[in-house]
Amino acid sequence: MSSLATIVAKDIRLLLRDRPALIFILVAPIIVICVAGFSLASLYGTTPAGGTAYVLPIVDEDGGELARRIEQQLVDGAAEGTSVRVQLLRSRAEAERLVHDKRAGSALVIPEGTRAALAAGKPARLLLYTDPVKYLERLNVHLRVLEAMDALAAEQQARAVEELNAQRRRLRAQLDELATSAARLRTQIESAEREAQELREQTTRAVNAEATRLQQAVTTQIDAELNGLETRVNRAIAARVDALREPAAAWLDSLQQTRRDFDAWFAELQRRAGRRAEDIPPPPVFPKPPPELLEALDESPPPVELPERFEIHFEPSLAGLPPIPSPEPIELMLPDVALPAPATPAAMPAIEEISAGGGPVTMNTFDQNVPGFSVTFLLLGMLFGVSLGLLDERDWGTLDRVRALPVPAGNILIGKLVSRFAVGVVQMILLFAVGYALFGISLGPQPWALFLPIAGIAFAGTAFGLIVAVLARSRDAVLPLGSIAIVTMAAIGGCWWPIDLEPQWMQRVALAFPTSWTMEAFNDLMIRRRGPEAALVPTAVLLAFGALYLAIGLVLFRRWIARPA
Amino acid sequence: MDRGRRRVLDDVAFEVAPGEIVGLLGPNGAGKTTTLAVLSTLLRPSAGDVRIAGHDLRTDSEGVRRWIGRVPQEIAVYPTMTARDNVRFFARLLRLRTGSDDVLERVGLLERADERVSTYSGGMQRRLNLACGLLGSPPVLLLDEPTVGVDPQSLERIRLAIESHVADGAAVLYTTHQMDEAEQLCDRVVLIDRGRIIAAGTPESLVAGLQPGLRIDVVTEHPLPAGWLGDLHGARELDATEQHGETASSGHVVPVAIAALDLAPSVLKYATRRGTVIEFHIRRPRLYDVFLTLTGRALRD
Repeated sequence: MSSLATIVAKDIRLLLRDRPALIFILVAPIIVICVAGFSLASLYGTTPAGGTAYVLPIVDEDGGELARRIEQQLVDGAAEGTSVRVQLLRSRAEAERLVHDKRAGSALVIPEGTRAALAAGKPARLLLYTDPVKYLERLNVHLRVLEAMDALAAEQQARAVEELNAQRRRLRAQLDELATSAARLRTQIESAEREAQELREQTTRAVNAEATRLQQAVTTQIDAELNGLETRVNRAIAARVDALREPAAAWLDSLQQTRRDFDAWFAELQRRAGRRAEDIPPPPVFPKPPPELLEALDESPPPVELPERFEIHFEPSLAGLPPIPSPEPIELMLPDVALPAPATPAAMPAIEEISAGGGPVTMNTFDQNVPGFSVTFLLLGMLFGVSLGLLDERDWGTLDRVRALPVPAGNILIGKLVSRFAVGVVQMILLFAVGYALFGISLGPQPWALFLPIAGIAFAGTAFGLIVAVLARSRDAVLPLGSIAIVTMAAIGGCWWPIDLEPQWMQRVALAFPTSWTMEAFNDLMIRRRGPEAALVPTAVLLAFGALYLAIGLVLFRRWIARPA
Repeated sequence: MDRGRRRVLDDVAFEVAPGEIVGLLGPNGAGKTTTLAVLSTLLRPSAGDVRIAGHDLRTDSEGVRRWIGRVPQEIAVYPTMTARDNVRFFARLLRLRTGSDDVLERVGLLERADERVSTYSGGMQRRLNLACGLLGSPPVLLLDEPTVGVDPQSLERIRLAIESHVADGAAVLYTTHQMDEAEQLCDRVVLIDRGRIIAAGTPESLVAGLQPGLRIDVVTEHPLPAGWLGDLHGARELDATEQHGETASSGHVVPVAIAALDLAPSVLKYATRRGTVIEFHIRRPRLYDVFLTLTGRALRD
């Protein structure tokens, strides 16, 4: 065991004194991570350190509000790490020129009348000038604009929904109020019905009583009036008769006199006419006064006799009164008002991205690059540490020298592998620490869980380094053989870019490489923010890879060690 | 011992006793390093018995490793570490708590023990290579060309360290191409070629068995044409590229083996007929000559 520790310590000491190796396993990955992270940041649509956002010129021909809102959405998006910064321009030509001159990949124009058209429910369109060569920028900007539009639409929908819901609440309140009023009315009607019924009965009784009273009073009064009237009439008639009798007698007397005068006049006339008297027609005869008149003038008028008593009967009939309607029992069946359903976005559903694991929707580009390039350089470090290390020791003769010492044979190899495994783990931890300190990478909800894939890939990488060492016939053969294998594994395994960028068949091929399982675990832990359980299967696969590599490596190592250098 | 279908060691048998230095000599590819690899337990022999301090290498390789110290042909230390760190590393593997400074002192590196090995000269690196092999005073020391490319000072220090170790009772197996070195250092030598032992014994006995018994090195202004010796009986031209011993400061050395001293004038006479002789040296044959005689002059690359 002490010999194993001695060999491990020796290898670590060799590494610590090997500045190029230290630079390679620590500084080089940091540089590559920086370069790749900043260079490829736009690929992920984020703004690492806020320095590489796309500039989106916006021309507002519509008067401000819509542009201001879109700009605000994009600015808010930029604050959240998306990659578009807004630059307001004055004219469409200026925007087009910017794109044409390759100073911008896209430019957005909000034509005049857009907002009015939208407000009127008419179709409206925005113009996006793009440079097809700048595909990623175009894609990102297009996406951000769509997101901004979505956000605006979502905002408007939210407002509409809020308004609809408010209306619904108001309507509900009114309906409730109406129901209350109806219930109150029903009570009132029922009460009124009862009161009316009582009043009707009271009225009937009062009317009947009053009719009786009136009947008696009227009868009495009419009797008195009739008596008085009879007296007054008789008196009047007598007075009138008396008053007419004298002039009538005088007139008759006068009439008698006149007739005599007339006879006298006529006799004279005939006399004077002499001979001609015969030609004169006889004069008209005056009528004689009727004997009844003469009798009436001689007699007193008979008295007027009125009936002794008028019987007035009031029999008020209330049958004509309209019956008091008995209202139907008011069932408070409010009309089935079709209240609008609780409002939900319909026409233009806003897309709300939700990370399935509860993590953030967007990712820090370094969450991909730090583990990816760390794994790459871990494997390259294994190439130098294990493969070249073994070859160096074979070439130096130290391997045989140690083999000739009374040291358990396995310790020689195991010591080297253990030391490189430890160095690999430390290398990964340091690179993650640097990534955390400089680039704010996520360490997941439980950072210790990162140790699982780190240990897994360090083990698999160490064993893979052994295979490369024993397959390569010389130091010169290690680099082409090992680097091709590692570069292939890293690239296909998703260390350099998200594996989703690769076609499906290549993603299936990637399952044959430990790198893809490592990145799967890192992505789960760091980006998807899942717990340690997410790393268990990938780590188990990595350990299986490591065990397989180690078994192959040991078999080959036995032959390799016996081969002359 | 087979490697693939090729037999690289065949019937190689020798012993090294405590306090004895045995040189294992042979041309490139003869099987020296393979022999040491087998003895170091780095290669498993396909047949035969190997015992070191009573431990059977085939059944108790770990026991064997406890007894041996190995100094490989290459500088088998970590160049980015200091000499002290290197020695301490190997000492810890041997579970030694002390002795690091002692071996550094024995090879003359203690004062510069904290410098990186990569800054050392070739001689210093060779001495450090030896120091690591001397850790724990192994009873059996296997040295694979430990003095390649070193200056005389380092060579001397290495030789002293080895002799000191042997004086402590260690058995040393020593491979080298430096025949002088083997002749001076080794008690016995084992000549091996094509995986087989072709000669063994003390250097003196091997040289004594060599015929003809003298050599003359003729130094000429220009190379002599082929066949310049003609049919001179008792003389045989050796390969100029394998000339050994004192060398001329200028001109071309033409080594010739002669059966007796009185043939020397005839050789010089033949040489002056074909070229200008600048100087000549007559000497007795040495282990080098034995080596060339037994292994031939053909290149083994």
